[in-house]
Amino acid sequence: MLEAKFPEDPLPLLEINVDDTSHIALRDPQNCLLCANKPCTYICPSQVFEWEEEALKINYSRCVECGACQKICPENIIWEYPRAGYGITYHY
Amino acid sequence: MESYDAIVVGAGPAGSTAALTLARNGLSVALLERGQFPGCKNVFGGTIYAQPVSEILPAFWETAPLERPVVTEELWFLHTDSAVRVGFGSLRFARQPYNKFTVLRSRFDRWLAGEASKAGAVLHLKAHARDFVFDKGLFTRGPVQGVKLDNGEILLSNVVIIAEGVLPFLTAKAGLLTKVPPAYAYTLYVKEVLSLPKEKINDRLQLENDEGAIIGIVGFPTSTAIGKAGLWTNRDTLSLVVGAYLNQMASHGLSPYLLLKRLKEHPFVKRIIEGAEPVEYQAHMIPKGGYTFLPKLYGDNVLVVGDAALMISGRRGTDLAMLSGKYAAETVIQAKAKGDFSAKMLANYALKINRAFFMEDIKARRGDLQYYQNRSDADYLISSTLNELASEFFTVDLLNEKEKRERLTGILRSKQFPLKTLGDLWAALRHWEAL
Ligand SMILES: Cc1cc2nc3c(=O)[nH]c(=O)nc-3n(C[C@H](O)[C@H](O)[C@H](O)COP(=O)(O)OP(=O)(O)OC[C@H]3O[C@@H](n4cnc5c(N)ncnc54)[C@H](O)[C@@H]3O)c2cc1C
Ligand code: SF4
Ligand code: SF4
Repeated sequence: MLEAKFPEDPLPLLEINVDDTSHIALRDPQNCLLCANKPCTYICPSQVFEWEEEALKINYSRCVECGACQKICPENIIWEYPRAGYGITYHY
Repeated sequence: MESYDAIVVGAGPAGSTAALTLARNGLSVALLERGQFPGCKNVFGGTIYAQPVSEILPAFWETAPLERPVVTEELWFLHTDSAVRVGFGSLRFARQPYNKFTVLRSRFDRWLAGEASKAGAVLHLKAHARDFVFDKGLFTRGPVQGVKLDNGEILLSNVVIIAEGVLPFLTAKAGLLTKVPPAYAYTLYVKEVLSLPKEKINDRLQLENDEGAIIGIVGFPTSTAIGKAGLWTNRDTLSLVVGAYLNQMASHGLSPYLLLKRLKEHPFVKRIIEGAEPVEYQAHMIPKGGYTFLPKLYGDNVLVVGDAALMISGRRGTDLAMLSGKYAAETVIQAKAKGDFSAKMLANYALKINRAFFMEDIKARRGDLQYYQNRSDADYLISSTLNELASEFFTVDLLNEKEKRERLTGILRSKQFPLKTLGDLWAALRHWEAL
Protein backbone atom coordinates (compact mmCIF):
# COMPACT_ATOMS: atom_id res chain seq x y z
CA MET A 1 0.00 0.00 0.00
CA LEU A 2 1.38 3.41 -0.95
CA GLU A 3 1.93 5.88 1.87
CA ALA A 4 -0.59 8.68 1.90
CA LYS A 5 0.17 12.30 2.64
CA PHE A 6 -2.55 12.22 5.29
CA PRO A 7 -1.28 13.18 8.70
CA GLU A 8 -1.63 10.13 10.99
CA ASP A 9 -2.90 7.99 8.15
CA PRO A 10 -5.80 5.88 9.52
CA LEU A 11 -5.59 3.26 6.77
CA PRO A 12 -3.36 0.85 8.70
CA LEU A 13 -6.33 0.39 11.07
CA LEU A 14 -8.39 -1.14 8.29
CA GLU A 15 -8.81 -4.63 6.91
CA ILE A 16 -8.71 -4.37 3.14
CA ASN A 17 -8.42 -7.44 0.94
CA VAL A 18 -6.77 -6.05 -2.18
CA ASP A 19 -7.57 -7.53 -5.59
CA ASP A 20 -4.77 -7.83 -8.20
CA THR A 21 -6.57 -5.55 -10.60
CA SER A 22 -7.90 -2.07 -10.00
CA HIS A 23 -11.63 -1.34 -9.80
CA ILE A 24 -10.95 2.32 -10.62
CA ALA A 25 -10.06 3.69 -14.05
CA LEU A 26 -9.87 6.97 -15.94
CA ARG A 27 -11.62 7.57 -19.23
CA ASP A 28 -8.74 9.74 -20.40
CA PRO A 29 -5.77 10.64 -18.18
CA GLN A 30 -5.15 13.67 -20.43
CA ASN A 31 -8.32 15.29 -19.07
CA CYS A 32 -6.71 15.59 -15.65
CA LEU A 33 -4.10 18.00 -17.04
CA LEU A 34 -6.90 20.47 -17.78
CA CYS A 35 -8.74 19.90 -14.50
CA ALA A 36 -8.14 23.02 -12.39
CA ASN A 37 -8.78 21.97 -8.79
CA LYS A 38 -8.47 18.19 -9.08
CA PRO A 39 -11.22 17.60 -6.50
CA CYS A 40 -10.66 13.83 -6.48
CA THR A 41 -7.35 14.43 -4.69
CA TYR A 42 -9.04 15.95 -1.62
CA ILE A 43 -12.63 14.65 -1.72
CA CYS A 44 -11.62 11.01 -1.49
CA PRO A 45 -11.76 10.24 2.25
CA SER A 46 -9.01 7.74 1.82
CA GLN A 47 -6.62 9.67 -0.43
CA VAL A 48 -6.71 7.20 -3.25
CA PHE A 49 -5.92 9.87 -5.85
CA GLU A 50 -2.66 11.75 -5.80
CA TRP A 51 -1.24 14.20 -8.29
CA GLU A 52 2.39 13.36 -8.78
CA GLU A 53 4.81 14.32 -11.54
CA GLU A 54 2.06 15.68 -13.81
CA ALA A 55 -0.05 12.56 -13.61
CA LEU A 56 -2.83 11.18 -11.46
CA LYS A 57 -1.80 8.18 -9.37
CA ILE A 58 -4.60 5.90 -8.25
CA ASN A 59 -3.82 3.90 -5.10
CA TYR A 60 -6.87 1.69 -5.49
CA SER A 61 -5.72 -0.52 -2.64
CA ARG A 62 -6.70 2.25 -0.21
CA CYS A 63 -10.31 2.52 -1.43
CA VAL A 64 -13.03 2.21 1.23
CA GLU A 65 -15.85 2.10 -1.36
CA CYS A 66 -17.78 5.25 -0.52
CA GLY A 67 -18.42 6.03 -4.19
CA ALA A 68 -17.80 9.78 -3.86
CA CYS A 69 -15.11 10.05 -6.56
CA GLN A 70 -17.35 8.95 -9.42
CA LYS A 71 -20.01 11.42 -8.28
CA ILE A 72 -17.54 14.30 -8.15
CA CYS A 73 -15.95 13.45 -11.49
CA PRO A 74 -18.41 11.40 -13.54
CA GLU A 75 -16.73 12.71 -16.70
CA ASN A 76 -13.46 10.96 -16.07
CA ILE A 77 -13.62 8.46 -13.23
CA ILE A 78 -14.93 4.98 -13.89
CA TRP A 79 -15.50 3.33 -10.55
CA GLU A 80 -17.21 0.12 -9.63
CA TYR A 81 -17.32 -2.02 -6.52
CA PRO A 82 -14.37 -4.38 -6.10
CA ARG A 83 -15.14 -8.01 -6.82
CA ALA A 84 -17.05 -10.02 -4.24
CA GLY A 85 -14.91 -10.87 -1.24
CA TYR A 86 -12.40 -8.07 -1.95
CA GLY A 87 -12.13 -4.58 -0.58
CA ILE A 88 -12.99 -3.17 2.81
CA THR A 89 -14.19 -5.15 5.83
CA TYR A 90 -15.28 -3.05 8.78
CA HIS A 91 -15.46 -4.56 12.23
CA TYR A 92 -17.22 -1.70 14.03
CA MET B 1 -29.25 -23.44 -11.51
CA GLU B 2 -30.66 -22.32 -8.17
CA SER B 3 -34.12 -20.87 -8.33
CA TYR B 4 -36.14 -18.98 -5.73
CA ASP B 5 -39.41 -17.17 -5.30
CA ALA B 6 -37.40 -14.06 -4.55
CA ILE B 7 -33.81 -12.84 -4.64
CA VAL B 8 -32.90 -9.97 -2.36
CA VAL B 9 -29.72 -8.11 -3.30
CA GLY B 10 -27.93 -6.58 -0.31
CA ALA B 11 -28.03 -7.65 3.35
CA GLY B 12 -28.38 -4.19 4.91
CA PRO B 13 -31.40 -3.29 7.04
CA ALA B 14 -33.67 -3.03 3.98
CA GLY B 15 -32.66 -6.33 2.36
CA SER B 16 -32.52 -8.41 5.52
CA THR B 17 -35.96 -7.18 6.59
CA ALA B 18 -37.40 -8.04 3.18
CA ALA B 19 -35.80 -11.51 3.28
CA LEU B 20 -36.97 -12.09 6.86
CA THR B 21 -40.55 -11.15 6.01
CA LEU B 22 -40.58 -13.35 2.90
CA ALA B 23 -39.06 -16.35 4.66
CA ARG B 24 -41.44 -16.07 7.61
CA ASN B 25 -44.29 -16.32 5.14
CA GLY B 26 -42.94 -19.47 3.60
CA LEU B 27 -41.48 -18.11 0.38
CA SER B 28 -38.12 -19.36 -0.82
CA VAL B 29 -35.65 -16.51 -0.77
CA ALA B 30 -31.96 -15.91 -1.44
CA LEU B 31 -30.31 -13.01 0.38
CA LEU B 32 -27.13 -11.88 -1.41
CA GLU B 33 -24.34 -9.90 0.22
CA ARG B 34 -21.17 -8.81 -1.54
CA GLY B 35 -19.12 -8.56 1.67
CA GLN B 36 -17.56 -11.31 3.77
CA PHE B 37 -20.40 -10.91 6.25
CA PRO B 38 -23.47 -8.66 6.40
CA GLY B 39 -22.62 -5.21 7.72
CA CYS B 40 -18.92 -5.36 6.94
CA LYS B 41 -19.31 -2.68 4.24
CA ASN B 42 -21.91 -0.59 6.04
CA VAL B 43 -21.53 2.67 7.91
CA PHE B 44 -23.85 4.97 9.79
CA GLY B 45 -23.76 7.29 12.83
CA GLY B 46 -25.69 6.02 14.49
CA THR B 47 -28.94 5.30 16.08
CA ILE B 48 -31.75 2.90 15.37
CA TYR B 49 -35.22 3.79 16.50
CA ALA B 50 -37.14 1.48 18.82
CA GLN B 51 -40.70 1.99 17.60
CA PRO B 52 -40.29 1.34 13.88
CA VAL B 53 -37.84 -1.53 14.45
CA SER B 54 -40.24 -3.27 16.85
CA GLU B 55 -42.86 -3.20 14.11
CA ILE B 56 -40.69 -5.83 12.46
CA LEU B 57 -38.96 -7.44 15.42
CA PRO B 58 -41.00 -7.05 18.61
CA ALA B 59 -38.81 -6.73 21.73
CA PHE B 60 -35.67 -6.86 19.56
CA TRP B 61 -33.70 -5.30 22.45
CA GLU B 62 -33.71 -8.66 24.20
CA THR B 63 -31.56 -10.32 21.55
CA ALA B 64 -30.09 -7.70 19.17
CA PRO B 65 -26.46 -6.58 19.64
CA LEU B 66 -27.17 -3.03 20.78
CA GLU B 67 -24.71 -0.59 22.26
CA ARG B 68 -26.65 1.79 24.52
CA PRO B 69 -30.21 3.10 24.86
CA VAL B 70 -30.04 6.85 24.26
CA VAL B 71 -31.21 8.96 27.21
CA THR B 72 -29.76 12.36 26.38
CA GLU B 73 -29.44 14.21 23.15
CA GLU B 74 -27.82 17.56 22.56
CA LEU B 75 -27.41 19.86 19.64
CA TRP B 76 -24.37 22.11 19.64
CA PHE B 77 -24.02 25.23 17.55
CA LEU B 78 -20.30 25.17 17.67
CA HIS B 79 -18.02 28.11 17.04
CA THR B 80 -14.22 28.26 17.26
CA ASP B 81 -14.11 28.65 21.04
CA SER B 82 -17.73 28.68 22.17
CA ALA B 83 -20.92 26.68 21.81
CA VAL B 84 -24.64 27.22 22.16
CA ARG B 85 -26.14 23.96 23.37
CA VAL B 86 -29.69 22.74 23.44
CA GLY B 87 -30.73 19.33 24.60
CA PHE B 88 -33.11 16.96 26.19
CA GLY B 89 -32.65 14.06 28.54
CA SER B 90 -35.12 11.56 29.89
CA LEU B 91 -34.29 8.58 32.05
CA ARG B 92 -37.52 7.02 30.88
CA PHE B 93 -35.73 6.30 27.59
CA ALA B 94 -33.50 3.84 29.45
CA ARG B 95 -36.48 1.57 30.04
CA GLN B 96 -38.90 -0.35 27.87
CA PRO B 97 -40.26 0.44 25.34
CA TYR B 98 -37.12 2.61 24.87
CA ASN B 99 -36.68 5.32 22.26
CA LYS B 100 -33.39 4.87 20.37
CA PHE B 101 -30.30 2.73 20.60
CA THR B 102 -26.78 3.33 19.39
CA VAL B 103 -25.46 0.37 17.38
CA LEU B 104 -22.45 -0.65 15.31
CA ARG B 105 -23.46 -1.83 11.88
CA SER B 106 -21.04 -4.70 11.47
CA ARG B 107 -22.72 -6.27 14.48
CA PHE B 108 -26.33 -5.19 14.01
CA ASP B 109 -26.57 -5.99 10.29
CA ARG B 110 -24.97 -9.36 10.84
CA TRP B 111 -27.52 -10.16 13.53
CA LEU B 112 -30.46 -9.01 11.39
CA ALA B 113 -29.33 -11.11 8.43
CA GLY B 114 -28.96 -13.99 10.88
CA GLU B 115 -32.61 -13.57 11.87
CA ALA B 116 -33.57 -13.76 8.19
CA SER B 117 -31.54 -16.91 7.72
CA LYS B 118 -33.01 -18.49 10.88
CA ALA B 119 -36.43 -17.87 9.35
CA GLY B 120 -35.33 -19.81 6.27
CA ALA B 121 -33.71 -17.29 3.90
CA VAL B 122 -30.61 -18.63 2.15
CA LEU B 123 -27.77 -16.22 2.85
CA HIS B 124 -25.09 -16.04 0.12
CA LEU B 125 -21.94 -14.26 1.27
CA LYS B 126 -19.28 -12.84 -1.05
CA ALA B 127 -22.04 -12.85 -3.65
CA HIS B 128 -21.97 -9.70 -5.74
CA ALA B 129 -24.88 -9.30 -8.15
CA ARG B 130 -23.44 -7.43 -11.14
CA ASP B 131 -26.35 -7.65 -13.51
CA PHE B 132 -29.75 -9.12 -14.16
CA VAL B 133 -30.73 -12.03 -16.29
CA PHE B 134 -33.54 -10.85 -18.53
CA ASP B 135 -36.16 -12.87 -20.31
CA LYS B 136 -35.79 -12.75 -24.07
CA GLY B 137 -38.34 -10.26 -25.33
CA LEU B 138 -39.53 -10.21 -28.91
CA PHE B 139 -38.18 -6.77 -29.80
CA THR B 140 -36.95 -5.31 -26.55
CA ARG B 141 -35.48 -6.88 -23.47
CA GLY B 142 -37.99 -8.89 -21.45
CA PRO B 143 -38.57 -8.72 -17.70
CA VAL B 144 -36.03 -9.61 -15.01
CA GLN B 145 -35.59 -13.34 -14.41
CA GLY B 146 -32.79 -13.38 -11.90
CA VAL B 147 -29.30 -12.07 -11.28
CA LYS B 148 -25.79 -12.74 -12.45
CA LEU B 149 -22.99 -12.78 -9.87
CA ASP B 150 -19.53 -11.51 -10.66
CA ASN B 151 -18.14 -15.05 -10.62
CA GLY B 152 -20.52 -15.81 -13.48
CA GLU B 153 -23.02 -17.76 -11.40
CA ILE B 154 -26.68 -17.23 -12.24
CA LEU B 155 -29.55 -17.32 -9.76
CA LEU B 156 -33.15 -17.32 -10.95
CA SER B 157 -36.29 -16.00 -9.29
CA ASN B 158 -39.79 -14.70 -9.87
CA VAL B 159 -38.87 -11.38 -8.40
CA VAL B 160 -35.73 -9.44 -7.44
CA ILE B 161 -35.76 -6.96 -4.56
CA ILE B 162 -32.95 -4.44 -4.99
CA ALA B 163 -31.59 -3.40 -1.57
CA GLU B 164 -28.17 -2.28 -2.77
CA GLY B 165 -27.86 0.90 -0.71
CA VAL B 166 -26.66 4.34 -1.74
CA LEU B 167 -25.01 3.55 -5.10
CA PRO B 168 -27.77 2.59 -7.54
CA PHE B 169 -25.88 0.35 -9.99
CA LEU B 170 -28.58 -2.32 -10.27
CA THR B 171 -31.45 0.14 -9.98
CA ALA B 172 -30.03 1.78 -13.10
CA LYS B 173 -29.59 -1.56 -14.87
CA ALA B 174 -33.22 -2.44 -14.12
CA GLY B 175 -34.21 0.79 -15.89
CA LEU B 176 -35.75 2.24 -12.74
CA LEU B 177 -33.52 5.28 -12.34
CA THR B 178 -35.48 8.23 -13.67
CA LYS B 179 -32.64 10.77 -13.32
CA VAL B 180 -29.04 10.11 -12.35
CA PRO B 181 -28.59 12.00 -9.07
CA PRO B 182 -25.71 14.53 -9.33
CA ALA B 183 -23.12 15.30 -6.61
CA TYR B 184 -25.39 17.82 -4.89
CA ALA B 185 -27.86 15.03 -4.14
CA TYR B 186 -25.35 13.29 -1.84
CA THR B 187 -23.67 13.99 1.44
CA LEU B 188 -20.34 12.34 2.23
CA TYR B 189 -19.41 11.41 5.79
CA VAL B 190 -16.30 10.09 7.46
CA LYS B 191 -16.27 8.40 10.82
CA GLU B 192 -13.79 7.37 13.42
CA VAL B 193 -14.54 4.78 16.06
CA LEU B 194 -12.55 5.63 19.19
CA SER B 195 -12.07 3.26 22.05
CA LEU B 196 -12.46 4.67 25.55
CA PRO B 197 -13.16 2.85 28.82
CA LYS B 198 -16.81 2.76 29.77
CA GLU B 199 -16.26 4.64 33.04
CA LYS B 200 -14.62 7.53 31.20
CA ILE B 201 -17.44 7.70 28.67
CA ASN B 202 -19.97 7.76 31.51
CA ASP B 203 -18.10 10.41 33.47
CA ARG B 204 -17.54 12.72 30.56
CA LEU B 205 -21.13 12.56 29.33
CA GLN B 206 -22.84 12.30 32.71
CA LEU B 207 -24.21 8.82 32.09
CA GLU B 208 -24.73 5.84 34.34
CA ASN B 209 -24.35 2.15 33.51
CA ASP B 210 -25.45 1.52 29.93
CA GLU B 211 -27.14 4.85 29.29
CA GLY B 212 -26.21 6.49 26.03
CA ALA B 213 -25.86 10.03 24.68
CA ILE B 214 -25.78 11.65 21.27
CA ILE B 215 -24.42 15.06 20.38
CA GLY B 216 -25.23 16.64 17.03
CA ILE B 217 -22.90 19.46 16.05
CA VAL B 218 -23.35 22.16 13.41
CA GLY B 219 -21.26 25.15 12.38
CA PHE B 220 -17.57 24.68 13.10
CA PRO B 221 -17.24 21.01 12.06
CA THR B 222 -18.01 21.54 8.39
CA SER B 223 -16.26 24.85 8.01
CA THR B 224 -17.99 26.52 5.05
CA ALA B 225 -20.29 23.78 3.83
CA ILE B 226 -23.72 22.59 4.90
CA GLY B 227 -23.28 19.49 6.95
CA LYS B 228 -23.06 18.05 10.41
CA ALA B 229 -20.97 16.27 12.91
CA GLY B 230 -22.16 13.82 15.49
CA LEU B 231 -20.88 11.95 18.47
CA TRP B 232 -22.48 8.70 19.60
CA THR B 233 -21.65 6.73 22.71
CA ASN B 234 -21.28 2.98 22.28
CA ARG B 235 -20.50 0.52 25.10
CA ASP B 236 -16.77 1.18 25.20
CA THR B 237 -16.24 3.20 22.05
CA LEU B 238 -17.30 6.56 20.69
CA SER B 239 -18.38 7.15 17.10
CA LEU B 240 -17.35 10.54 15.77
CA VAL B 241 -18.78 11.47 12.41
CA VAL B 242 -18.49 14.51 10.16
CA GLY B 243 -19.60 15.27 6.65
CA ALA B 244 -21.37 17.63 4.29
CA TYR B 245 -22.86 18.04 0.85
CA LEU B 246 -20.47 16.48 -1.60
CA ASN B 247 -20.57 19.26 -4.20
CA GLN B 248 -20.03 21.94 -1.54
CA MET B 249 -16.99 20.18 -0.10
CA ALA B 250 -15.61 19.83 -3.61
CA SER B 251 -16.15 23.45 -4.60
CA HIS B 252 -14.95 24.81 -1.24
CA GLY B 253 -11.81 22.69 -1.34
CA LEU B 254 -12.63 20.69 1.80
CA SER B 255 -11.20 17.27 2.58
CA PRO B 256 -13.51 15.20 4.77
CA TYR B 257 -10.60 13.54 6.50
CA LEU B 258 -9.04 16.87 7.40
CA LEU B 259 -12.41 18.13 8.67
CA LEU B 260 -12.47 15.17 11.04
CA LYS B 261 -8.93 15.89 12.24
CA ARG B 262 -9.84 19.53 12.77
CA LEU B 263 -12.96 18.60 14.71
CA LYS B 264 -10.97 16.32 17.01
CA GLU B 265 -8.80 19.31 17.88
CA HIS B 266 -11.73 21.51 18.90
CA PRO B 267 -11.39 22.14 22.66
CA PHE B 268 -14.95 21.02 23.46
CA VAL B 269 -14.66 17.85 21.44
CA LYS B 270 -11.17 17.16 22.68
CA ARG B 271 -12.41 17.13 26.27
CA ILE B 272 -14.70 14.23 25.44
CA ILE B 273 -12.32 12.16 23.32
CA GLU B 274 -9.10 12.85 25.21
CA GLY B 275 -7.04 9.69 25.45
CA ALA B 276 -9.38 7.68 23.21
CA GLU B 277 -7.64 5.44 20.67
CA PRO B 278 -8.89 5.31 17.06
CA VAL B 279 -9.78 1.71 16.22
CA GLU B 280 -11.42 2.19 12.83
CA TYR B 281 -11.90 4.78 10.11
CA GLN B 282 -14.88 4.64 7.74
CA ALA B 283 -16.57 6.60 4.96
CA HIS B 284 -20.01 6.46 3.38
CA MET B 285 -22.48 8.61 1.48
CA ILE B 286 -26.15 9.39 2.17
CA PRO B 287 -28.51 9.76 -0.79
CA LYS B 288 -30.19 13.13 -0.26
CA GLY B 289 -31.98 13.32 -3.61
CA GLY B 290 -35.36 12.99 -1.91
CA TYR B 291 -38.58 13.25 -3.78
CA THR B 292 -36.97 15.03 -6.75
CA PHE B 293 -34.75 12.06 -7.59
CA LEU B 294 -36.99 9.24 -6.43
CA PRO B 295 -36.49 6.27 -8.76
CA LYS B 296 -39.35 4.19 -10.08
CA LEU B 297 -40.03 1.90 -7.14
CA TYR B 298 -41.03 -1.17 -9.14
CA GLY B 299 -41.17 -2.74 -12.57
CA ASP B 300 -42.00 -6.17 -13.93
CA ASN B 301 -40.53 -8.70 -11.45
CA VAL B 302 -38.46 -6.08 -9.62
CA LEU B 303 -38.71 -3.73 -6.62
CA VAL B 304 -36.35 -1.20 -5.01
CA VAL B 305 -36.07 -0.61 -1.25
CA GLY B 306 -34.08 1.37 1.32
CA ASP B 307 -31.33 3.82 0.37
CA ALA B 308 -31.51 2.63 -3.23
CA ALA B 309 -35.08 3.94 -3.25
CA LEU B 310 -33.96 7.17 -1.47
CA MET B 311 -35.96 6.28 1.64
CA ILE B 312 -34.20 8.87 3.78
CA SER B 313 -35.87 11.51 5.88
CA GLY B 314 -33.74 13.78 8.02
CA ARG B 315 -31.70 11.62 10.34
CA ARG B 316 -33.80 8.56 9.73
CA GLY B 317 -32.65 5.94 7.27
CA THR B 318 -32.33 2.47 8.78
CA ASP B 319 -35.93 2.42 9.96
CA LEU B 320 -37.29 3.64 6.63
CA ALA B 321 -35.09 1.05 4.95
CA MET B 322 -36.57 -1.68 7.12
CA LEU B 323 -40.15 -0.54 6.66
CA SER B 324 -39.76 -0.26 2.89
CA GLY B 325 -38.22 -3.76 2.89
CA LYS B 326 -41.23 -5.02 4.78
CA TYR B 327 -43.72 -3.38 2.41
CA ALA B 328 -41.90 -4.77 -0.62
CA ALA B 329 -41.94 -8.27 0.89
CA GLU B 330 -45.65 -8.07 1.70
CA THR B 331 -46.33 -7.06 -1.87
CA VAL B 332 -44.31 -10.03 -3.15
CA ILE B 333 -46.18 -12.43 -0.85
CA GLN B 334 -49.46 -11.24 -2.30
CA ALA B 335 -48.02 -11.49 -5.81
CA LYS B 336 -46.96 -15.06 -5.14
CA ALA B 337 -50.46 -15.88 -3.89
CA LYS B 338 -51.87 -14.51 -7.13
CA GLY B 339 -49.14 -15.99 -9.27
CA ASP B 340 -48.56 -12.61 -10.90
CA PHE B 341 -45.28 -10.67 -10.58
CA SER B 342 -45.98 -8.05 -13.22
CA ALA B 343 -45.47 -4.35 -12.61
CA LYS B 344 -49.22 -3.96 -12.33
CA MET B 345 -49.34 -6.31 -9.38
CA LEU B 346 -46.17 -4.91 -7.76
CA ALA B 347 -47.61 -1.38 -7.95
CA ASN B 348 -49.12 -2.17 -4.54
CA TYR B 349 -45.69 -1.53 -3.10
CA ALA B 350 -45.69 2.06 -4.32
CA LEU B 351 -49.18 2.50 -2.86
CA LYS B 352 -47.96 1.29 0.53
CA ILE B 353 -44.96 3.60 0.40
CA ASN B 354 -47.08 6.57 -0.58
CA ARG B 355 -49.41 5.94 2.33
CA ALA B 356 -46.55 5.57 4.84
CA PHE B 357 -46.06 8.31 7.43
CA PHE B 358 -42.51 9.01 6.30
CA MET B 359 -43.51 9.75 2.71
CA GLU B 360 -45.28 12.91 3.89
CA ASP B 361 -41.97 14.07 5.35
CA ILE B 362 -39.99 13.11 2.27
CA LYS B 363 -42.42 15.08 0.12
CA ALA B 364 -42.41 18.04 2.52
CA ARG B 365 -38.62 18.18 2.34
CA ARG B 366 -38.70 18.54 -1.42
CA GLY B 367 -37.42 22.13 -1.21
CA ASP B 368 -34.45 21.28 1.01
CA LEU B 369 -31.95 20.40 -1.72
CA GLN B 370 -32.47 23.73 -3.44
CA TYR B 371 -32.34 25.59 -0.13
CA TYR B 372 -28.99 24.07 0.75
CA GLN B 373 -27.53 24.93 -2.62
CA ASN B 374 -28.73 28.54 -2.47
CA ARG B 375 -27.71 29.05 1.16
CA SER B 376 -24.48 27.18 1.59
CA ASP B 377 -23.58 29.86 4.15
CA ALA B 378 -26.63 29.16 6.36
CA ASP B 379 -24.89 26.81 8.80
CA TYR B 380 -21.97 29.13 9.32
CA LEU B 381 -24.19 32.17 9.69
CA ILE B 382 -26.60 30.74 12.22
CA SER B 383 -23.94 29.10 14.31
CA SER B 384 -21.67 32.13 14.47
CA THR B 385 -24.57 34.49 15.13
CA LEU B 386 -26.04 32.35 17.89
CA ASN B 387 -22.64 32.24 19.54
CA GLU B 388 -22.24 36.00 19.33
CA LEU B 389 -25.71 36.55 20.72
CA ALA B 390 -25.22 34.10 23.55
CA SER B 391 -21.82 35.48 24.37
CA GLU B 392 -23.27 38.97 24.60
CA PHE B 393 -26.23 37.71 26.61
CA PHE B 394 -24.19 35.80 29.16
CA THR B 395 -21.41 38.32 29.57
CA VAL B 396 -21.86 40.29 32.75
CA ASP B 397 -21.15 43.90 31.89
CA LEU B 398 -22.18 47.41 32.87
CA LEU B 399 -25.04 47.97 30.43
CA ASN B 400 -28.65 48.49 31.45
CA GLU B 401 -31.27 46.10 30.06
CA LYS B 402 -32.36 48.43 27.29
CA GLU B 403 -28.81 48.94 26.08
CA LYS B 404 -28.22 45.23 26.26
CA ARG B 405 -31.30 44.52 24.16
CA GLU B 406 -30.16 47.07 21.59
CA ARG B 407 -26.76 45.50 21.44
CA LEU B 408 -28.35 42.09 20.76
CA THR B 409 -30.61 43.40 18.00
CA GLY B 410 -27.57 45.21 16.63
CA ILE B 411 -25.72 41.91 16.26
CA LEU B 412 -28.66 40.41 14.43
CA ARG B 413 -29.00 43.41 12.14
CA SER B 414 -25.35 43.49 11.23
CA LYS B 415 -25.62 40.02 9.70
CA GLN B 416 -27.18 39.53 6.34
CA PHE B 417 -29.49 37.06 7.88
CA PRO B 418 -31.68 34.93 5.69
CA LEU B 419 -33.87 34.15 8.66
CA LYS B 420 -36.23 36.98 9.44
CA THR B 421 -38.54 35.53 12.00
CA LEU B 422 -38.77 32.84 14.56
CA GLY B 423 -40.76 30.85 12.02
CA ASP B 424 -37.74 30.94 9.75
CA LEU B 425 -35.53 29.73 12.54
CA TRP B 426 -37.84 26.75 12.93
CA ALA B 427 -37.53 26.12 9.21
CA ALA B 428 -33.75 26.34 9.48
CA LEU B 429 -33.63 23.86 12.34
CA ARG B 430 -35.73 21.50 10.32
CA HIS B 431 -33.49 21.96 7.32
CA TRP B 432 -30.56 20.93 9.47
CA GLU B 433 -32.51 17.95 10.52
CA ALA B 434 -31.91 18.94 14.07
CA LEU B 435 -35.52 18.06 14.77
C1 LIG C 1 -22.71 8.81 8.20
C2 LIG C 1 -24.08 8.26 8.20
C3 LIG C 1 -24.86 8.38 9.35
C4 LIG C 1 -26.14 7.85 9.39
N1 LIG C 1 -26.82 7.90 10.55
C5 LIG C 1 -28.01 7.28 10.66
C6 LIG C 1 -28.66 7.18 11.91
O1 LIG C 1 -28.15 7.63 12.95
N2 LIG C 1 -29.87 6.56 11.96
C7 LIG C 1 -30.44 6.01 10.85
O2 LIG C 1 -31.53 5.44 10.96
N3 LIG C 1 -29.84 6.08 9.64
C8 LIG C 1 -28.63 6.69 9.52
N4 LIG C 1 -27.99 6.72 8.30
C9 LIG C 1 -28.67 6.16 7.12
C10 LIG C 1 -28.65 4.63 7.10
O3 LIG C 1 -27.36 4.15 7.33
C11 LIG C 1 -29.14 4.10 5.77
O4 LIG C 1 -30.33 4.74 5.41
C12 LIG C 1 -29.39 2.59 5.81
O5 LIG C 1 -28.20 1.91 6.07
C13 LIG C 1 -29.97 2.10 4.50
O6 LIG C 1 -30.13 0.71 4.53
P1 LIG C 1 -30.09 -0.16 3.18
O7 LIG C 1 -30.32 -1.56 3.61
O8 LIG C 1 -30.99 0.45 2.20
O9 LIG C 1 -28.63 0.04 2.60
P2 LIG C 1 -27.21 -0.41 3.19
O10 LIG C 1 -27.23 -0.39 4.66
O11 LIG C 1 -26.20 0.40 2.49
O12 LIG C 1 -27.07 -1.93 2.72
C14 LIG C 1 -26.84 -2.28 1.38
C15 LIG C 1 -26.21 -3.66 1.37
O13 LIG C 1 -26.16 -4.17 0.05
C16 LIG C 1 -24.89 -4.72 -0.21
N5 LIG C 1 -24.74 -4.67 -1.68
C17 LIG C 1 -24.73 -3.55 -2.45
N6 LIG C 1 -24.68 -3.87 -3.75
C18 LIG C 1 -24.69 -5.21 -3.81
C19 LIG C 1 -24.65 -6.14 -4.90
N7 LIG C 1 -24.64 -5.71 -6.15
N8 LIG C 1 -24.65 -7.47 -4.62
C20 LIG C 1 -24.67 -7.90 -3.32
N9 LIG C 1 -24.71 -7.07 -2.26
C21 LIG C 1 -24.72 -5.74 -2.50
C22 LIG C 1 -23.96 -3.87 0.60
O14 LIG C 1 -22.74 -4.51 0.84
C23 LIG C 1 -24.77 -3.64 1.86
O15 LIG C 1 -24.61 -4.67 2.81
C24 LIG C 1 -26.69 7.23 8.23
C25 LIG C 1 -25.93 7.11 7.09
C26 LIG C 1 -24.62 7.59 7.06
C27 LIG C 1 -23.80 7.42 5.83
S1 SF4 D 1 -9.94 12.33 -12.15
FE1 SF4 D 1 -11.39 13.96 -12.54
S2 SF4 D 1 -11.30 15.26 -10.74
FE2 SF4 D 1 -9.48 13.98 -10.70
S3 SF4 D 1 -7.92 15.21 -11.71
FE3 SF4 D 1 -8.80 13.91 -13.28
S4 SF4 D 1 -10.43 15.13 -14.19
FE4 SF4 D 1 -9.87 16.13 -12.25
S1 SF4 E 1 -14.89 5.18 -3.68
FE1 SF4 E 1 -14.44 6.65 -2.02
S2 SF4 E 1 -12.65 5.79 -1.05
FE2 SF4 E 1 -12.80 4.77 -3.02
S3 SF4 E 1 -11.57 6.01 -4.40
FE3 SF4 E 1 -13.62 6.79 -4.58
S4 SF4 E 1 -13.74 8.47 -3.13
FE4 SF4 E 1 -11.93 7.25 -2.59
